[in-house]
Amino acid sequence: MSTTTPTTPAGPKFYEQTWDLSYKHALGETTSRFLGALTEGKILGRRCPVCERVIVPARSFCDRDHCATTDWVEVGTTGVIEMFTVVYEPFKNLPAPPYALAYATLEGADTALVGYVRGLDLSDQKTAVAALAVGTPVVVKFSDSPTGTAADYWFEPAAGAN
Amino acid sequence: MPPGTDPPAPRPRVAVLAIRREATAREEDRSLEEMIFEVAHDTLADAGLSQATVGGVVLSGNDQSDGRVISCMTSAGPAGGVDSDVTMIASSGEHALAYGWLRLRSGQGDTVLVIGWGKPSEGVNPDYAELVSAEPYVLRAVGMNDTIAAALQASRWTDPATAGDTATVSWPLTADDLPRRGDVVVAAVLAVEGTFSPGRELAWVRGAGWSTENYELGARDVGAQTALDQALAHLARGADSAPAPSTWDSVEIAAPSEPAAARAAGKLGLPTHATVNGSGSLHERLAPAHIAGLDRLLAAAGSVGPGTGTAAGVGFNGFAGQGATVMVFGAPGTKEGVA
Amino acid sequence: MSVPNVGVLGVGQTPYVNRRTDVTFPELVREGAQLALADAGVTIDDVDAVVFPLAPDALTGTGNGERWCIEALGAAGKPFMRVNNGGATGMSAIIAAWTHVASGEFDVVLVAGAERVSESGSAQSVLNKMWDVGYERPIPLNTITMLALSAVRYMHLHGSDETDMARVTVKNRRHAALNPLAHLRDEVTIEDVLASRTLAWPIKLGDACPSSTGAAGAVLVSERYARANGLDPAWIRGVGQNTETFWMGDRVGPKALQDHGDADALATAFKRAYGQAGLTDPTTQIDVAEIYAPFSSVELHVIEAAGLCGLGESPTRLAKGEFALGAPGPVVNPSGGVLCSNPIAVTGVARLAEATLQVQGRAGAHQVPGARTAVASAIGGDHQFYSTLVLSSDLEDIA
Repeated sequence: MSTTTPTTPAGPKFYEQTWDLSYKHALGETTSRFLGALTEGKILGRRCPVCERVIVPARSFCDRDHCATTDWVEVGTTGVIEMFTVVYEPFKNLPAPPYALAYATLEGADTALVGYVRGLDLSDQKTAVAALAVGTPVVVKFSDSPTGTAADYWFEPAAGAN
Repeated sequence: MPPGTDPPAPRPRVAVLAIRREATAREEDRSLEEMIFEVAHDTLADAGLSQATVGGVVLSGNDQSDGRVISCMTSAGPAGGVDSDVTMIASSGEHALAYGWLRLRSGQGDTVLVIGWGKPSEGVNPDYAELVSAEPYVLRAVGMNDTIAAALQASRWTDPATAGDTATVSWPLTADDLPRRGDVVVAAVLAVEGTFSPGRELAWVRGAGWSTENYELGARDVGAQTALDQALAHLARGADSAPAPSTWDSVEIAAPSEPAAARAAGKLGLPTHATVNGSGSLHERLAPAHIAGLDRLLAAAGSVGPGTGTAAGVGFNGFAGQGATVMVFGAPGTKEGVA
Repeated sequence: MSVPNVGVLGVGQTPYVNRRTDVTFPELVREGAQLALADAGVTIDDVDAVVFPLAPDALTGTGNGERWCIEALGAAGKPFMRVNNGGATGMSAIIAAWTHVASGEFDVVLVAGAERVSESGSAQSVLNKMWDVGYERPIPLNTITMLALSAVRYMHLHGSDETDMARVTVKNRRHAALNPLAHLRDEVTIEDVLASRTLAWPIKLGDACPSSTGAAGAVLVSERYARANGLDPAWIRGVGQNTETFWMGDRVGPKALQDHGDADALATAFKRAYGQAGLTDPTTQIDVAEIYAPFSSVELHVIEAAGLCGLGESPTRLAKGEFALGAPGPVVNPSGGVLCSNPIAVTGVARLAEATLQVQGRAGAHQVPGARTAVASAIGGDHQFYSTLVLSSDLEDIA
């Protein structure tokens, strides 16, 4: 054995790897029913018996009171934007920009639901941002060809908004 | 530098107030978060606590197994963590229990919920999820996973000449030798002495030791289970004097394989009456690898009582038991855990 | 029981850069560990236990990558565990190490870790996989959009604008220019920030942290060890953590406990640490704040949560030049902060390291003159896990 510096050429610099992990996540009865209701154009929430919030999207337990929710509540399909963003940067494996995302509190709900906001021209940032201001009324739209995921609904500005 | 000289101030004794375990081969009707919520809620209730009153939460999950990139995000709430101090110990479930004990010994609150989970049925290929724990340059290329590492370890103890013709998964191990995955949530509430009615405790924590060896299988004698020796040494060195293995009445061992569990039990020097894995063999007791140790530690805690004054749990983590943890529990209702 | 005193004997950080191709992940971890041990004047043989900070495995590309680092750390045979609290991981690991020492079981505990997010080709799509499997994953949320939502809400609640955000960047870049370890060290103007491209409105490139590669470590010791060896560490006087709901949509409206635009749950964590430290008036008793804010908008509400000014006041205070090096009162992120260097797994360790250098008068060009008391914080998850601590140069009452 010798302790000289190797004279062999340097080897490769990178080793490329992809994690190809697949999952089938159990949704649970509550989420399943929420997604099913989307096909009927309905948004469902669950009421917490302690804080009495109507939690949307429907969850089987309230994390604030750490108890099971008890009642199904169908909330409205109109609401107001609580927060939003317009994405202009492309992220690898995420949709091509621009797109708008918002959380909106629907009529009868105590928490806000996240979704895409469609039906807006996003090319001009200033106009887009003004049209999405916090407090802007929106309506929920539903896909005609549902996929059984939360992508089956989105928001659009309510008629007459802005 | 020399160690500190003045003795550390005495730390409070810590008891186990509640233990829950839910295990099923395949849970398709509830989400992982729903399973966690139910076990956390019921364990807290067993201890007379709630999310509002528990002093902190220690989580243990595995992002790859869970298919959630920061698994604690969606599990902290169902585990009772909202408005609380939450820490996820990701190296192994048994570390989470040791950490819960350290938290109370350090004066951070009077109670802590420790909860670990795994729902490998959601992974389409959980063996592959183990493969990504192999470092990318060499081990991943040879397809290393927990089973293969366990077989390499067991090969150190098996003479090929005496091998039978039983169907093996990975020589020399058969399916019966190997741990069986399942959808499992385990939880416990620990509490500081004096903060609950005497007699309410299920067990007293008498000490803990844990250690990790080198990662490379070629850089350690995988047959020697050195991490266990080290964990036992740390246990003996702890601030309180933990009962030695020669006094244990029962031990629960989570190991990479049955031969590894038998080896580990052998090196402990247990009394002849001691029971080993009274809660079931590795193949019988469902447990995903990263919480198998936590599950056995809690099984040990739950086993103390009449006839079992002292029980210990042993967990291994990593390929071929790279790390080992030992926690010792004493029977309830006794002062300093001694009858 | 009274809270035991835990000292910070040494800290270490590598320079933060885009990428390191000259070392593997464990080798990078070793660099941070060696720097921390050398600064503490101890060797790995003196270390009783190791706590390893590592956030998403997927970013490093090795599951349970902590186990791979034992050889590089020289930690074989030692008690070892890993913390993962998302972005709060580094500081949660420091608090875990504090817990190890405060429990009386260990005298010398090493925290060491590293980040090389640059090796992940698709960090933001990886980070989309942290959302709820039932409801949120089909929506392209990530760490940028989640905080853009918060920024919009802060603007709405407090009437601030993009210029207020830009001022944070301008201040921190000026600080980073004085910190040789910082990743982004070029000074910028308000106009530069406003003109930078929009990532997710209102967050522009100039409002965003870099993805940094680097390592950091710290050595924590018990009071009895410090006394036995005549050592003079900085002292952790209080620690506090808190967690809020994962559901961002639950953080709005009249029934919300916390608002996604503010950092109310973080304020609770700070109060826990202040209570333990006996710190009663953050505005006068804190000299330095090294607070976790990966986007300019986040610093606005973290300054308020730390009690350095009232709710909604930070934009006007920053506009007056406060919280900057050279200004009277507490200086916020004299290192340039997370906005200028964000090595995710160890970002919280870096906050402690910088706070330690400050209270010991060792911060060099970005030293806050006469600093004795510092506060440090980190945030993880979707603005969900909060970790804070108070550090001082000695064990005198904080006044």
